[in-house]
Amino acid sequence: MTTEPKIWNTLERDYRERLEAARPYVMDGKVVEAGDTVKLLEAVVRPGDKVNIEGDNQKQADFLAQCLCEVDTDKVHDLHMVQSVLSIPAHLDIFDKGIAKKVDFSFSGPQAGRLAEYVRDGKIELGAIHTYLELYGRYFVDLTPRVALCVGVSADKNGNIYTGFNTEDTPVIAEAVKFRQGIVIVQVNEIVDEVPRVDIPGDWVDFVIQAPRPFYIEPLFTRDPALITDSQILRAMMVIKGIYGEYGIQRLNHGIGFDTAAIELLLPTYGEELGLKGKICSYFVTNPHPTLIPAIESGWVKSMHCFGGEAGMAEYVQARSDVFFIGPDGSMRSNRDFAQTAGHYALDLFIGGTLQIDKYGNSSTATASRIAGFGGAPNMGCDAKGRRHATPGWMKCGEEYGMHDELVGDLPRGKRLVVQLQETFREKMAPGFVDKLDAVALAENAGLDLPPVMIYSDDLTHVVTEEGIAYLHKCTSMADRMAAIRAVAGFTEVGMAEDPAETASLRERGIFKTPADLGIDVRRANRDLLAAKSVKDLVNWSGGLYNPPAKFRNW
Amino acid sequence: MSDWKSLEAKSFYGASARERAIGIVDEGTFTELAGPQNRMSSPHLPVLGEAVEWDDGCVTGVGLIGKHPVFVISQEGRFIGGAVGEVHGAKMVGAFVLARQMYDRIKEEHPDELAERLPAVVISFETGGVRLHEANAGLLAHAEVMDQIQESKGKFPVISLIGSKVGCFGGMGFVAAATDVIVMSDLGRLGLTGPEVIEQEMGKDEFDSADRSLVYRTTGGKHKYIMRDANYLVEDTLGDFHDQLTAIMDAPYDEIVKCRRIGSEELVDEQLALAELSVEMAPKDARDVWAYFGNEDVDQIPEMTTAEFLAVAKRR
Repeated sequence: MTTEPKIWNTLERDYRERLEAARPYVMDGKVVEAGDTVKLLEAVVRPGDKVNIEGDNQKQADFLAQCLCEVDTDKVHDLHMVQSVLSIPAHLDIFDKGIAKKVDFSFSGPQAGRLAEYVRDGKIELGAIHTYLELYGRYFVDLTPRVALCVGVSADKNGNIYTGFNTEDTPVIAEAVKFRQGIVIVQVNEIVDEVPRVDIPGDWVDFVIQAPRPFYIEPLFTRDPALITDSQILRAMMVIKGIYGEYGIQRLNHGIGFDTAAIELLLPTYGEELGLKGKICSYFVTNPHPTLIPAIESGWVKSMHCFGGEAGMAEYVQARSDVFFIGPDGSMRSNRDFAQTAGHYALDLFIGGTLQIDKYGNSSTATASRIAGFGGAPNMGCDAKGRRHATPGWMKCGEEYGMHDELVGDLPRGKRLVVQLQETFREKMAPGFVDKLDAVALAENAGLDLPPVMIYSDDLTHVVTEEGIAYLHKCTSMADRMAAIRAVAGFTEVGMAEDPAETASLRERGIFKTPADLGIDVRRANRDLLAAKSVKDLVNWSGGLYNPPAKFRNW
Repeated sequence: MSDWKSLEAKSFYGASARERAIGIVDEGTFTELAGPQNRMSSPHLPVLGEAVEWDDGCVTGVGLIGKHPVFVISQEGRFIGGAVGEVHGAKMVGAFVLARQMYDRIKEEHPDELAERLPAVVISFETGGVRLHEANAGLLAHAEVMDQIQESKGKFPVISLIGSKVGCFGGMGFVAAATDVIVMSDLGRLGLTGPEVIEQEMGKDEFDSADRSLVYRTTGGKHKYIMRDANYLVEDTLGDFHDQLTAIMDAPYDEIVKCRRIGSEELVDEQLALAELSVEMAPKDARDVWAYFGNEDVDQIPEMTTAEFLAVAKRR
């Protein structure tokens, strides 16, 4: 019996065909004119392809996304989008127009409501909602994009790409796609003779396009100090004294929000007063928050690796090369992949805010009508089981772990600190503690297999509210843990079920501490404690190096 | 609350209504009237299931600047954006009524010292105008305050201070314009329709309210100073506002009222000429107007400190 010889390079043959189809649009080297982008996409994207539009919660390949919306649906349809975010309108327009039908993603932010609507109406088939690292991992397993639409600052005609300090997701996408013989197209702000630094080598890139306008970037991590409230300052004081100081936290990540901004602005004042400089907060893996400028300028921070850049921070970051990761060209390189990995294994603590915490301590930012996704928070906000190196804070938290003996026996093991900051009542009097997470209703509404939980109760070690700190990891049972959550939940439905006798016993055992227990004078919790009270103050701290975007220029 | 001396160094922008009320008059002279202990709160908000404040977001009282009794109205932006409802408005009116009674009494008891004991009403604005939850009562309150300003004319000055977070917008923008003197910091904002409402009605291309720089160029203290909508521009501390008030109150009443923007035929002609000019030159941005009035390097104006700006600013 004879058989056809097996062909082992179908991917490569397919790649060659696509390149051939694109040939009419390629000018000098790998350069394609912006006006030919739609035709280029029609030539290289095939129905049913897995396609990635690069973008995260910061930079966006917005021009390429817009062009993908304009392709002829007879030529390009039924795409399976595999990408970090659905955050600009074009990301969902492609589903509205029938160009794409399925999505696997991480985070949707401003498009969360529209996404939920499209899923309900059957316009979008939802694969899964991932964390960034999970999705990157799947790029190398079963979700490798056939075509990637990426974004950079500049390119030469040979396709060498400079990303500026917003390197972010580009390396991981380009590597996954190119090494499976996929097509990599990059929009850049300008084509230059020589790039300042090669972030993506030219032979990983097939086409470069100078977009008609610079790529969109959201200053997502900038918080105006003028809007920080006394309640946020009180929680920040508790965190610095009752957690950072208590555990000697040196390596950490700060999530997005006003609560963490308040902590950052209290380091040079309250932190200094407690004598904690040099003992806490020396190493950050965080975006370059402008509110960290006073702490950096005061000599608190030894090093800071970043997920991405932040609009207006480039010049400041560049001038502080002892702190940030700066390339030979003099500018920073960020990398979301490495920063997320550090989140798992190299950091002792994550701290951030959330929308809802349930009576068990599970938390979520989902609401019943919005599919918001996770981004990277679950990678930061978990206790990575693969960690094997010891640090004092990690070891102390492990020693205090109430379930340790039940699960591990008498061998020592550390525990990662995962801290949630919560106001008992949020904007519009929405309770911060609930009996059941909205994520459960969302899972039912949208037909998800799994309710989108940001941080699970067994990973959460501390909850901080204006009532005090619950040291949840010290609990020896779920009953204990639920009582500790009731103690910090204030006048919410969950908090009203508190039994004062039970709370008193938790205080005795050091599981619940009020501001007074921590030796904090609540009268001092006001804006006078902030190292910077306005965006202008941040500019002054930076010696004029921080250049805030227009939306933050209150002058 | 901090003592008066440390209040003087505090940012006016970040100060609460009560801190402003205490800090803009002389040390130790402020007495709050109809304060929280009197529990005058809105009767309308509970019906809508909304929380109330016992001062209804408006601090009223009396203090001294030199020998001048100064009746203070100070709005709190952290309560419903400083919006004016029925009780809030009634407290404003009450301050004017007391000022007028004080004026009559001084005139009778100290006829020779009227000038140095002349009272004043000072309003520290932080508001977006009418509180929509109590719309008619809120509108009526605006009309009554306008009425009180008219009643004060020829007797004692009414002075506006604008430098708080919310700014001074909506109907209260009209009220501020009708007072005798306006003092602002560069962080203060004054206008009629608020930036968000303009964007909502006219679109993002007309006015992008998220562009704070644009918002400040159009409604901020420096622009209002160039346009003479604000008479004085001061640094952002309670002490600087206090000092400016002291300087104003030292001047004779006839001098003070020269600061007015409306209220005479000449002033009406002046405003109409300005309206014509805006049609003629069709400015695309406040910077065009600054340049028109002779300011150089207009891109640098937002970056200047108040002192640098005052040294070079050319006003209309």
